Amino acid sequence: MGKLEGKKLLLLGERDGVPSPAMESVFKNSGAEMVFSATECFV
Amino acid sequence: MPNAAVKSCSYCLAFTPELAFHYGNTPYMERQAKPDSEFLAALPRAAQSYEEACRYAPNLAYIGAISVEELSGRPQPWLDNLEPAPVRDGRFGEIMPEDEFLGLMDLCDVFDLIWLTEDFAARVKDRLTARGFWAEPQLARLEKGHALSEIDEEVKNHKALPLYYGGKTAGCCRRGHETDENLSAHVLLENIASKATSVLALMHLFKNAGMKPEELDFVVECSEEAIGDMNQRGGGNLAKAIAEIAGANNASGFDVRAFCAGPAAALIASASMVAAGARENVAAAAGGAVPKLYMNARDHVKKGLPALENCLGSMAVLLTPEDGESPVIRLDSLGKHTVGAGASPQAVTTALAWEPLEKLGLKLTDVDKYAPELHNPEITLPAGAGNVPEANYKMIAALGVMKKQLERADIENFVKERGLPGFAPTQGHIPSGVPYMGHALEAMKKGDLKRVMIIGKGSLFLGRLTNLADGASFLMEKMPAGQGEAAGAVTARDVEEAVLEALGNLAAALSE
Repeated sequence: MGKLEGKKLLLLGERDGVPSPAMESVFKNSGAEMVFSATECFV
Repeated sequence: MPNAAVKSCSYCLAFTPELAFHYGNTPYMERQAKPDSEFLAALPRAAQSYEEACRYAPNLAYIGAISVEELSGRPQPWLDNLEPAPVRDGRFGEIMPEDEFLGLMDLCDVFDLIWLTEDFAARVKDRLTARGFWAEPQLARLEKGHALSEIDEEVKNHKALPLYYGGKTAGCCRRGHETDENLSAHVLLENIASKATSVLALMHLFKNAGMKPEELDFVVECSEEAIGDMNQRGGGNLAKAIAEIAGANNASGFDVRAFCAGPAAALIASASMVAAGARENVAAAAGGAVPKLYMNARDHVKKGLPALENCLGSMAVLLTPEDGESPVIRLDSLGKHTVGAGASPQAVTTALAWEPLEKLGLKLTDVDKYAPELHNPEITLPAGAGNVPEANYKMIAALGVMKKQLERADIENFVKERGLPGFAPTQGHIPSGVPYMGHALEAMKKGDLKRVMIIGKGSLFLGRLTNLADGASFLMEKMPAGQGEAAGAVTARDVEEAVLEALGNLAAALSE
């Protein structure tokens, strides 16, 4: 069981940093539940 | 493969702090939710004056009053080290003050949407005439103005939006339809402001290129506004509306949209048309975005800084057939972020920076300068968005290490040597690489630069139809005459010229 098994994740991405789809792919098999995932743009 | 020459560039700013305060999206939304907020009360005290904006080094780099090298050499923070004297005009364009800009919006209005007070209309007509820049038919478009009571009536009872100068009502923007929200005064104000800034850039482009407006063949517009009504929101062709006001009577046009990647995409489309011989010349042009004014002002005010997002940006680039002298946009290898490429910074950088070079057998170090998102870091850092161009350079350098073209220890030097300081206003599509093309054009003419890469990235998720990342890139380089076309190969243009010559000889023989 991974460290994130059963945890809930809020993923906040940034356009010129790491966008949320990239984070989603990292955590896909972590066992955590992604309850929110969004990318923002400040420029 | 033929390419297209980069003939001339223009870059302008319209200093519009009162449009920013009233209609920039951050203060506008705050006013809807909390009209008595501390932020709104403090914001006017954080405004720069026009003189300060004309002494701010990144603005001067944008209009070409100083070079990017000079900007790099200026002590930072630039905010605390304003230039000794204000500069309005640069080699590429100007910083237009707000009263003249409200007049320019009226000059660009063909549906009686912008009303100015009589006093203000007379004032801006004098100011615009005194510049000696605008043609008589353009100045004749300025209205005589309306009584203040008429403007108050439009605002109070007909949903017009007031326009301000010096804190007083200077006019209003009227709605274009009684019920269509796509033609509300708010939407039309944004669209006319974008149109007016594009017209300003296009007029400067004509001046910089030494060409007459009627010599322009085509305009490709690439801002982020949607032009249309309730039946075709985003129907478009802002390009033709801009060409009309600029006096480009022989031009037509269309619009390209790709969020912040729009200008890079528009330049690729424009270059392709010119290189194919489909258009004699093309101006790719973009105007500014009112909603993005004061976008990060909440953080600037909180940190006691001036609210820097006070200028609408605009730009235009003229492309012509290769002439053996001017730098070209290379069309034989373009950066394309595919649907399946992935959204990670590594995937995006690979698609936009690595793959087009690999196709040409070039290394990352064969590019003298990279121009990705050139956002001014003094705007983005206080807002927590980081130094955007620097982050891009580090990612390109890191990719170079992964591909074994760079040593890890060389990353810092790579960023320093091949990077640029961010100097563009955070106007979405405006900073996306293209603001460097004017500086690159000058440096290439002097022989100081050989090859640069322009990179634009778009935030498609903002439209809520896809989460895909996006971007486009191209190489601009000084290429010896003829190298763009396969040496010795017979091109379509060669055949066309031979046929025309033969027909000319035949006609001459028949007429003898």
